[in-house]
Amino acid sequence: MALGLLFVLLAWSVGAASGERSQRGDLIVALQGQISPLRLPRHEPAPVRLHLEGGLLTADGTLLPRVDRVEIGFPTQGVISTQGLPVCTVRQLLNATSEGALAACRPALIGHGSVEADVLLPDQGAFRIDARLLVFNGPRRHGHRLLLLHGYAPKLPTTVVLPFRLERHRGRFGITIGADLPAALGPWPHLARFTLDLGRRYSFRGRPRSFISASCPIPPIFTEGFVSLARITYTLNGGREVRQAITRRCHGL
Amino acid sequence: MKIGTKWTKWAVALVLALALGAAAVAAAEEEPTRDEYVDQLEAICKPDALATQRVMKGARSDIQHERLKVAAGKFAKADSIFGSTVKKISAVARPPADRERLKKWFGYLKQQETYLTKITAKLRAEEAIAAQRLTARFIHNGNLANNVVLPFGFEYCSFKFSRFG
Repeated sequence: MALGLLFVLLAWSVGAASGERSQRGDLIVALQGQISPLRLPRHEPAPVRLHLEGGLLTADGTLLPRVDRVEIGFPTQGVISTQGLPVCTVRQLLNATSEGALAACRPALIGHGSVEADVLLPDQGAFRIDARLLVFNGPRRHGHRLLLLHGYAPKLPTTVVLPFRLERHRGRFGITIGADLPAALGPWPHLARFTLDLGRRYSFRGRPRSFISASCPIPPIFTEGFVSLARITYTLNGGREVRQAITRRCHGL
Repeated sequence: MKIGTKWTKWAVALVLALALGAAAVAAAEEEPTRDEYVDQLEAICKPDALATQRVMKGARSDIQHERLKVAAGKFAKADSIFGSTVKKISAVARPPADRERLKKWFGYLKQQETYLTKITAKLRAEEAIAAQRLTARFIHNGNLANNVVLPFGFEYCSFKFSRFG
């Protein structure tokens, strides 16, 4: 399967630590991330891990709006492989703690992270909860692979299982994973911050495979390239969309 | 005579009052609110941002196929558009409360313009490594510029590397 990542010109220090932000009204959207390793073959995909973190913030400190949908886009030429990966089902994850989810589905684990969300309970002020995230390879539904995101907040304690649909489209961010956040989630969708690490190496029929692979497809005259690494889109209650994309570098081997 | 002098004084006072009033109105007209300022700038930036996207079309592929001089031509056009945009938006009256912030932003924009000019020159000279280093700075500087005017919520006046191919 073909390779890598979009790029335009080549680079030296884009400052991977500095995340990109944009503001619409009082709402600030932030996203940062990187792939590792940064040194990648120019002509064939190699296994990588992807780290993303970001979130929403209100400039005036008011309660965050409810998020109805989250979608993360990746470059079209990126390779996501789930062939031969064990599959976990929603039923196996429902009502499970993080440990319980791992006990049931560890072979299907493809990522992990954390999330902070604002919770507003009746007759109480808003407070923030932290949850641990686990991402599992899920079954196919209507022709699309599902990635199951399991969130567990021990302090509340609450379990959420969100099926993210893996899709391919045309355009720069042609690979997307997206999920609707149903009303039944109650206070959870006031998303504040998240971190997400995706990547899994495994073998299938004796051959090494990786959940995510990438290359740095730059010509020999350059040493580094820029990639449109990811774009996050939040659909807020009422239909308004806010998004943020990030550009990062890669080194050609 | 006394009556005439009195009337003259009144007339002078009236003219002064009118002049001061007109000056106050003019000042108020020249000092837009932040929202008005954003609207004015976005109206200028939108056609130029779209034009930049058009002229940069294919630059990614040109660079990938080592057609650096072809890419240089596209960067030169983008540079020209960007320079013209900065000139136009520099002339727009700024909200008094945001003057310092905008001064900083325009500083970054001037730097962006310099980087675009230098990238064009390096591509034209087929100095690939120098061009890649400048591009890195161009992106970093663009992100810094965006952070300065974050509360303005610019769409077309903000830096987006995706517009450059």
